[in-house]
Amino acid sequence: MKIIKLDQTSFNFWVDRLIKKQCVFGVQSKGDRFVFDTLTRAEDLRLDYDVTILPPKKYFLPQREDLLDFSIKGEYKSITEREPFILLGVHPYDVVAISQMDRVFSADNYDVHYMSRRYNATIISCDVQRASNQVFAGSMNTATVQAGFDILLTKIGDSYLIDARTAKGEALLEGLTVRTEPTDKDLQERKQVWKENARLLQKNKLKGKPEELPELLEKSYYDPIWEEKSKLCFSCGSCNLVCPTCYCFDVQDDLNWDMQTGKRTRAWDGCLLRDFAAVAGGHNFRRQRADRYRHRFYRKGKYMAEKIGQVACVGCGRCIDACIPNIANPVEVYNQLFMSQKNIYIPEQVTLLKTEKMTERETFYELKMDSGLDLGHEPGQFVEISLPGIGEAPISVSSSPTQTGTFQIVVRAVGNVTTAMSRLKPGDHVGVRGPFGSQFPVHDVMKGKDILIICGGIGLVPIRSAINFILDNRDDYGAMTILYGMKKPKDQLFATELEEWSKLPGVQVLQTVDCYDESWKGNVGVITTLLSLIKLNSESTVAVVCGPPVMYPFVLKDLETMGMTAESIYVSLERRMKCGVGKCGHCQMNEIYVCQEGPVFKYSDIKEVMEAI
Amino acid sequence: MSKPKLAIFDFASCEGCQLQIINMEEEILDLMSIVNPVEWREAMSEQSEDFDIAVIEGSITRSGDEERLRRIRERAKVVVALGACATCGGVNKIMNNFNIEEAKKAVYQEASLMPHLNTSLTKAVDEVIDVDYKIHGCPIDRKEFAYIIRCLALGKNPEIPAYAVCVECKLKENICRYEQGEICLGPLTRAGCGARCPSVETWCFGCRGFIDDPNIYAAKEVMNKYGKTSEDLKDRMMLFGSKQRYIYE
Repeated sequence: MKIIKLDQTSFNFWVDRLIKKQCVFGVQSKGDRFVFDTLTRAEDLRLDYDVTILPPKKYFLPQREDLLDFSIKGEYKSITEREPFILLGVHPYDVVAISQMDRVFSADNYDVHYMSRRYNATIISCDVQRASNQVFAGSMNTATVQAGFDILLTKIGDSYLIDARTAKGEALLEGLTVRTEPTDKDLQERKQVWKENARLLQKNKLKGKPEELPELLEKSYYDPIWEEKSKLCFSCGSCNLVCPTCYCFDVQDDLNWDMQTGKRTRAWDGCLLRDFAAVAGGHNFRRQRADRYRHRFYRKGKYMAEKIGQVACVGCGRCIDACIPNIANPVEVYNQLFMSQKNIYIPEQVTLLKTEKMTERETFYELKMDSGLDLGHEPGQFVEISLPGIGEAPISVSSSPTQTGTFQIVVRAVGNVTTAMSRLKPGDHVGVRGPFGSQFPVHDVMKGKDILIICGGIGLVPIRSAINFILDNRDDYGAMTILYGMKKPKDQLFATELEEWSKLPGVQVLQTVDCYDESWKGNVGVITTLLSLIKLNSESTVAVVCGPPVMYPFVLKDLETMGMTAESIYVSLERRMKCGVGKCGHCQMNEIYVCQEGPVFKYSDIKEVMEAI
Repeated sequence: MSKPKLAIFDFASCEGCQLQIINMEEEILDLMSIVNPVEWREAMSEQSEDFDIAVIEGSITRSGDEERLRRIRERAKVVVALGACATCGGVNKIMNNFNIEEAKKAVYQEASLMPHLNTSLTKAVDEVIDVDYKIHGCPIDRKEFAYIIRCLALGKNPEIPAYAVCVECKLKENICRYEQGEICLGPLTRAGCGARCPSVETWCFGCRGFIDDPNIYAAKEVMNKYGKTSEDLKDRMMLFGSKQRYIYE
């Protein structure tokens, strides 16, 4: 194993040298997307890509390839002449997919066409530098790989670590005169990249482990989801064609004009296409759209897992992008099946890792799911906390989903459950159901906007999730202003964090108390007094409001006076909630279930709803 | 193996699909090596009553045409519809959206009453006679024509794609037109063209006609997702999909 470090200039020099030696297929831009294509110069290489339209499988199993030359007399000749080539910039999830395909084409009946290309290939993998919109490799354990490639590239600062893991890989480093050994710090940073990527490459989050999918599907053959989702299916096969682990093909003959000789060719096929399982007699073994739609999920999640011992979905997210009606998302389907397989009223066990008294009444808790999975929440969502014998209570999640492994809540001891909670110690267990409800629109509406956050009292708790999410994705948002009001100075939550936030560039934190004492040096007055202290560009701002019910009418009125429209204000509403799943009725306001459609609402959606504000 | 006798007939069309055959250039000699042309107005003066394969170009717009077409069917062993006008009525079918007298007046003005301009509603070839094979497209693809004729000469059913243009578009690694905010008929339209239009960055016009089981419900539903309406979709379908079954759904 050899690792060297090259700065960008030397790296480009090395790539140009590879191009002179062998045919190199590297990632390049195509419009605003990316594709693998013949690389003619290093500067065209785009290792900062998110995902390519087609996976690199096209170099082992081309869209269309000649298998045999034949004559009508019955002579056949194999067509397998191959040149060595380099595949440059393969993301880890695609490396996993290639390894799976290798097993399929080498085991049992050896496919010489695929395998001869495979043996002629040198795979240079590259750790992901930019997550695509739909990737979920983190959920499928394919965000990073340690095998299946010849060289692994990892960008550290302005340099690349080039890690040759095979003799083929090492051969490509021979003769390099400029070569720096990586420092321990570089290697440490690379480990950090791997850790971060496992977290970042989860734009969709699977509510279970990949290895649970075969059993889940075993029980789901007659689930209504297949019928329901496939109503929108065009049967266009796009999900198949862009998939790095789909390898089904059609075989056809065509004669030359001499009508004596010809070629037998194969071309990519897809099980979603109407006639994929139709026989010459006219019978179609998967006649309905739903049959074909279901088949893809079974093939990926069950049949292939049984064949090669691994679920054949690597979480690249290409099918999600490629599906025009947006029904191909495997995570959505599997999660819905996970949900319909379980009793919605049974909590999952979590363990308290840390408790900390924040104020006289509020306690902070850090929890970890015993399943080892993440909670999978979005900023603004809540959970039902369950204590057997006492009951359940709805509690907002306070940590950002960018913090993985654990989640945090803050509980005010006011009712039976919350008071009992305040007696718990680290190591104790509680039950949790959820996450439930809507979220602050951090993934769409808030992106690119200035953010105005207005919270009162424990309203800071759910909003902290959004604040930390925004700070962890700082470049996606404009300036952030946080206005925080409390009754008394000693009610203040997250004092240290507020202090840290206020020091960050582009973040302004203003606080006020209703009743002050000597300890307080800041503003005094209700929260609306802070509004007069800020400069607001109402056009470019999205406001988020959360606090006690009494706060809303005043804050909303002032925001509208300052030029904000009801479309750009989001409110998080509190209601009594027992079930959290849109059944018990306590949280209902008019036709709206706050636990399902809320707690976060666009103000314009509920402005005219009686009882809302 | 004796060479099958080939006749090519034209009806209401621009005759561009026949021209595509002539444009096979050097390959036209290869074509002649496997079929024996006996009638082909655009390429030869001879005519014949005796042929095996009848290739029909154009749509049927006059009652006299229907009689002529039936006579061709009676004599041919195999009838092949050539190009969009013949396979689905093509651009000519736009006329069927209007009152026929008004349409004539709009096109021919004062000459509209001249007897040789008399016309009725447009029909695809298979609305008048049984058709054995369809060579889709406006214009047809020369390679596909050659492949189909080779299959017929060999006595084999040609494999004409039953799937949508999206398949070929994905194989070409094109950026989806829907991602570009356009309405593309690719998901509803029969492939075989190699996704020619999306490959040069425009939407699919649907010239190869609908696939056998197009999901019109889904097509309308996705209009909402992309901020368009079913009327927008209908407009896009008018060029090649006018007055076909699915447009009413």
